[in-house]
Amino acid sequence: MRKTIKSITASALCLAIIGSSFAGCSGTSSASTAQPVTSAAASTASETAVAQPATLELFSTKSENKNILQSIIDDFHVQNPNITITITCPQDAGTVLKTRLTKNDIPDIIAMGGDATFKELQGADVLEDLSNEPYAASVQDSYKKMVYDVQKDKEQKLYGVPYATNASGVLYNVDMFKAAGVEVPKTWDEFLAVCKKFQSAGKTPFELTFKDSWCCLPPWNSMAPDLQLSSFTDDRMAKKTTFAATHQEVAQKYLELLKYAQKDYMGTTYADGNKAFAEGKAAMMINGNWAISEFKKTNKDFKVDLFAFPASNDISKNYVTSGVDVLFAINKDSKAKDAAKKFVSFMMEKTTAQKYIKDQFAFSAIKGVEQEDSTVASVKADIANGKVANFPDHYYPSGFDLASLAQNFAKNAAANMDATKNISDFLKQCDEKYDTANVG
Amino acid sequence: MLKSKERINFAFYLMTVPMVLLFFVFHTYPFLQGIFYSFTNWKGYGKWSFVGLRNYLHIFSDKDVGNAYAFTFFFALLATIFVNLFSLLLALGLNSKIKFKNALKAIYFLPYMLGNLIVGFIFNFVFANLLPMLGQALGIGALSVNILGTDNAWIGVLLVTVWQSLAFNTLIYLSGLQSVDQDLYEAANLDGAIGWKRFKHITFPLIAPFFTINMVLCVKGFLMAFDQIMAMTNGGPGSATTTISVLIYKKGFQGAQFAYQSADAVLLFIVIVSISMFQLFVLEKREAKFE
Repeated sequence: MRKTIKSITASALCLAIIGSSFAGCSGTSSASTAQPVTSAAASTASETAVAQPATLELFSTKSENKNILQSIIDDFHVQNPNITITITCPQDAGTVLKTRLTKNDIPDIIAMGGDATFKELQGADVLEDLSNEPYAASVQDSYKKMVYDVQKDKEQKLYGVPYATNASGVLYNVDMFKAAGVEVPKTWDEFLAVCKKFQSAGKTPFELTFKDSWCCLPPWNSMAPDLQLSSFTDDRMAKKTTFAATHQEVAQKYLELLKYAQKDYMGTTYADGNKAFAEGKAAMMINGNWAISEFKKTNKDFKVDLFAFPASNDISKNYVTSGVDVLFAINKDSKAKDAAKKFVSFMMEKTTAQKYIKDQFAFSAIKGVEQEDSTVASVKADIANGKVANFPDHYYPSGFDLASLAQNFAKNAAANMDATKNISDFLKQCDEKYDTANVG
Repeated sequence: MLKSKERINFAFYLMTVPMVLLFFVFHTYPFLQGIFYSFTNWKGYGKWSFVGLRNYLHIFSDKDVGNAYAFTFFFALLATIFVNLFSLLLALGLNSKIKFKNALKAIYFLPYMLGNLIVGFIFNFVFANLLPMLGQALGIGALSVNILGTDNAWIGVLLVTVWQSLAFNTLIYLSGLQSVDQDLYEAANLDGAIGWKRFKHITFPLIAPFFTINMVLCVKGFLMAFDQIMAMTNGGPGSATTTISVLIYKKGFQGAQFAYQSADAVLLFIVIVSISMFQLFVLEKREAKFE
């Protein structure tokens, strides 16, 4: 009796181990297996698209713009009934896009940020050159340059057309500022004075949402361009300089800010923090214009504005951090390329662009299309005058996970680690991880 | 021996062959491909070339991998101990003559029916909102913030993992306990073996095969811990709760290290197989002692 039980369990166990260890590895490798299957499926799908009724896939990396894109697509479909466009807008879209790239299953049109993911896509040579499209001339030069800068060898061609741009800085509760009698700070010293004033009045100056690691980046991204030489990203890549040698001040000021954050800033998620901020639980939040539509979900009448992060006491250096939030790229090998181009040119029309930025509280990369909303009034002039600096992390290698390092840095601060040691450890790690970011 | 070969019923092939094919296409082939790519510098797309053992050699100088292995082993060890301890206790309780036995069994089995991600998200809420409230009310400093954002994040993840894994292991122990012959207990009673003595000398030896199965499944499962961590901490804060599977996923797909992390996955496979084999070998020997 016992013998049988034993042999049954033993053989069951063997099967379980063999089966599950394969399953464990299949997590990483299944992406590659699917390659022949899906690319075949994709090509049949696009072959049918050559014929009159074209079906396109628009992949958006921003869940926030799904609704407005859908409504623009509906307008487009009325004008072009033979072109059908479906939107794909998954969670963790950057990863999904890269995974699909591994399967050579590239969407026809991609709406994405001008970030490291774009850099990889462009570097993988799967995107169409759009420099000669008629709408390319209407794009502001500063944003075109940002696209060139992240492209392989800084090639001066538009593989992605900048569409909407964002602004990151300090979001503030207008009513709380009024009630406290404080002005928008222009320098670092004024900024700290504002924080102190709120704190002594028993109000929380900042709502920070560091449970989500990407939220640890906005303070860094806003301060780094103000406090370091603009040649840093090039010099760092050429190994002529280090983070440790240049980013001391950024790191020190980063820790200074944490002193004015709410108690559990390490445990607050972006969603929870947005809600708390919209309910007036804190005066400021260090993030970008993309959060505004989230605030409005909680509190429709919330009065919020955005000002440039005053990292320096030299006013002329306090740039608005603004990058290409959405650009349009077209799959070079899409079988319905003409239809895709037609849609992008429809998106680039001024009325469409205006509609888009109005809905998104964003800025347009197209000349002459301006954001009229009061929620971003304080940075509007700076953006129009080109007093903008791109997000520094757009220039870092994509394997360099600065967000996690910054999260660790903030966590150590929350655990009362000695500041000098924390800063030197953090910057040392930045250099180490930067150098090992791209293995093979 | 000269008897003509017995005809094998075709139905048996029909039962097994399709599964073998499916298994090969969805398990074995990707696995072999992963091994293949671990010798290249493939980013996951585009051009690639062979780099020999470079990826494997690099693993041993990569601090991220070292830290992830250290955390994974630490986590798997604690989780295995706690899960086996508590599930054995639960099984003993549920196997005795108590009221509401079946209702309790159902309740304890419930967590197993929920997906890891769902459980992770539920506990995310508990840790972010409910526990801090309790901590503040009781004046416990460590509990007054979301522990998933602190150095103690691993405790939160461990707690949830243990809670969820208890169900299945309890079930296995329970089936083991039910297979024990009641006559043995009566005999033991006559000999005066009760309580701890009875457990140590009769019950535990008799359910030894079930202990083996649980130990091996636990270690294997926890060494590959992934979904609960993605749902609760995403490997953070910093990289404090990054297990090896999480590292492979994050760096392989988000960090353009597909080939390198494939090598890492192959290494993980070898590690898990060796540990499981070792466990089977040692524990089976131990079982044999009681035969």
